[in-house]
Amino acid sequence: MKKKPNLKKNMRVMLGVFCCLFVLLGTYLLYSTVVYGDQWFTTPYNPRISASKNIENAGTIYDRNGVALAYTENGERKYAESEDVRRAVSHIVGDIYGKSLGAETLYAKYLYGYDQNVVDKFNSAQSGQKGGDVYLTIDSDLSEYIYDNMSVGPGAVVLMNYETGEILASVSKPTFDPNTAKDDTEESGAKFVNRVTQGLYPPGSTMKILTTAAAIENGVTDMEFECTGEDIIEGQRVTCTSVHGRVGLETAFEKSCNIYFGRLAAELGDDIMLETANEFAYNYNFQFPNLTLYNSQFEVSGNMGDLAWAGIGQYNDLVTPMHNMLIAAGVANGGTVMQPNTLKDVRYGGVSSYTYTPTAFRSIMPQDVAAQIAGYMRNTVESGTATSANIGNATVCGKTGTAEYVEDGETKNHSWFVGYVQDAAHPLAIAVIGEGEGFGSAYAAPLAGKILEHAIDMGY
Amino acid sequence: MIIKRFGAGIVLAFMILFLLSGMLLLSFAGGAFNMEAALLGVIFAVFLIVQYNVLKSIFKHLERFALLIADFLCVISIVILYRIDPETAQKQLIWILIGNVCMIVAMLVIKRTHDFGKANWFFMILAVGMLGMTLLFASRIGGAKNWINIGPFSFQPSEFAKILFLIVTAYFLSSRERKRDMWPYFLFTIACVGLLVLSRDLGAALLFAGTFLIVFYVGTGSVGITLGATAAFAGGALLSYKMFDHVRTRVEVWQDPWATYNDKGYQIVQGLLAIASGGLLGTGLGLGMPEVIPVGTSDYIFAAIAEEFGIIVAIGIIALYLVFIIRGILIAMDARTKFDKLLVFGATAMLSLQSFIIIGGVIKLIPLTGITMPFVSSGGSSMLSAMMQLGIIEGVALKNGEYEEAELEEMGGGVA
Repeated sequence: MKKKPNLKKNMRVMLGVFCCLFVLLGTYLLYSTVVYGDQWFTTPYNPRISASKNIENAGTIYDRNGVALAYTENGERKYAESEDVRRAVSHIVGDIYGKSLGAETLYAKYLYGYDQNVVDKFNSAQSGQKGGDVYLTIDSDLSEYIYDNMSVGPGAVVLMNYETGEILASVSKPTFDPNTAKDDTEESGAKFVNRVTQGLYPPGSTMKILTTAAAIENGVTDMEFECTGEDIIEGQRVTCTSVHGRVGLETAFEKSCNIYFGRLAAELGDDIMLETANEFAYNYNFQFPNLTLYNSQFEVSGNMGDLAWAGIGQYNDLVTPMHNMLIAAGVANGGTVMQPNTLKDVRYGGVSSYTYTPTAFRSIMPQDVAAQIAGYMRNTVESGTATSANIGNATVCGKTGTAEYVEDGETKNHSWFVGYVQDAAHPLAIAVIGEGEGFGSAYAAPLAGKILEHAIDMGY
Repeated sequence: MIIKRFGAGIVLAFMILFLLSGMLLLSFAGGAFNMEAALLGVIFAVFLIVQYNVLKSIFKHLERFALLIADFLCVISIVILYRIDPETAQKQLIWILIGNVCMIVAMLVIKRTHDFGKANWFFMILAVGMLGMTLLFASRIGGAKNWINIGPFSFQPSEFAKILFLIVTAYFLSSRERKRDMWPYFLFTIACVGLLVLSRDLGAALLFAGTFLIVFYVGTGSVGITLGATAAFAGGALLSYKMFDHVRTRVEVWQDPWATYNDKGYQIVQGLLAIASGGLLGTGLGLGMPEVIPVGTSDYIFAAIAEEFGIIVAIGIIALYLVFIIRGILIAMDARTKFDKLLVFGATAMLSLQSFIIIGGVIKLIPLTGITMPFVSSGGSSMLSAMMQLGIIEGVALKNGEYEEAELEEMGGGVA
């Protein structure tokens, strides 16, 4: 005889379970709002902040030298007088209509004083209290210089102090003018996109820094290869622009031999390449406190031909100019990448309420590997593909890239250069990209050299 | 009994006050006085007073608190819906009125019925048929295929299949002693859940599977089989996680909605922003921006409520559901037949599970699965279904009261 189920007892058990579930629901709701509420509220994605923007009380946005880039006068938001300056810093400063992701949006919580009294967020905004003044890390003069020297077409330049992570200049073309941003519509050029942080490009040969690091870290450094200008790797044709002859790792890097690095990536295999890419913060969700950086991508398919292409920065590889610059900065800084930052400090009525402290982001390679790659990058500028980046007043190290892409059925090339100044007195890292500008050595490398030379002259 | 009635009256008075002040505030929101909002509030207030008093006097064993909680949730629904979109609120009011009719019909049917007997076989075919039809003909809304359009009307068959599922569940678990005789019911459950998964209606699939597990455990007391079935459903969930992109996306977005805030995580992020912007006390009715929350009138209505009324009221709503559950389970315990016990318990379990799944999803406690919030979300099918479940609970409550009265009479018979 089986025992009859005791329904009442079972129901009581379930009642207990439901009580626990609903208490958990209430507790979690309270907990998450108390702990994360302020952080969530002040994210730039909160449309409530931009909607309640009270221009009257907004603080001023200054560059690192105290040049006012955006300020309120007679209830109106004003920007730098020179159109070139306005345009050069437009993506960093942003606009008040939420069209771009600049300081006006990212630092709205300071500019409108929401960080002061988050308990009654909206009341503080309505009370007429003046917002905070925001000091950026960028130099507006240097930004203007870069803007004037870039080509007319789309592209991006980012310059950072690799010891502190301060972004000294970040220029993305096409630009917009904040004075007329209200009526601007997005055109084919997507001018509100900040290409430095939001533009995802195939890295092309600049990817060879990563492939080289993978090889050195895994002891695959003595591979030699006869470059005949063309090779087939698992059914996929890889070509070089010239016949490089017999090359080892060092010469292949200097000459940027595609076939060598394609072979090398295939030799290293999917796992090692993917592991190194992840170390380099590919496929990583960047969450920097003061700036938004899109995620870069590195994929493997199991096909060695695809991996060969991935090893030379094509296939499905995608990187932002800022991330690519950070990689060069890592090489320069002994493998450690500093967290990039654009917010220097915030002051309320002259009293500082927030000051950024340089913070390391992560180590992307051991120090000895960084030193070895630094040598290769120096040789590349000295006698390899990047000689056009050589300048008189400092030692530049770098790597060019020519990234293929197809537009309207036509194969075109992005011109890349990533590099840095090898001098503790001038710790500058740079990335330059020109969309459709052809070889890296033709546009990006000489422009990078010119910018670095100017920045050093300015005292950076 | 007097104290109880007095308590219920206070709840009703408070609810009316909330409704009228809310609607009055909204009628002044646009600057000029908006007659329509005030009128809607008055109509609904009058209806609630009439509904409560009429039902109370006709059915003296009415479970007052369950009814009042459902009414209170409807009041919150009307106020917040009118604030977001007046037209939706007007439609919602009509659905509440129709829902009340459905509730009374369900009440009377349940009161007069034993366990539907052989009709259960027809219910099974009907439920599977409805879900199958959905899979074949439905249009996709928000990733899930769960709407059928007939002329100008569109309805969600899964909402009505719920009621059938509850009846069939109670029937099989109460009429079959041996588990091996329950196999048609097991097949039926698997068919329902399977069809819902294929329609990508993950919320409903989770709800059916969860209700099955809970009611099966209560009805049979068999911990072993319940755990086994839980493992089987978990295995199924894992398999669908591996097989379907949209399931994986749900989990990824749950883990970190901020990573894809302008894409897949948009809805969750906007919900969290709304809740955070309201804070403990809320922005105040009309002062927030709940209109930017995707599906803010339906699945995400909890975020809209939290924004404007604050976390404290939001927790109050969670407490309301909990009181509702407690009342439902007490009625289930009180029921005289096993069928009635399991039917009421099933209806209560389903409503509570449904509110847990959606609120938990909105506040990011669990992965989000699209499902409506009972009595609050806009939408006809959902309102009618919830009202019918309330009708089931009330129907059994009436039966309980009559039995109790009969027993008392028997006992007191000698004295009189």
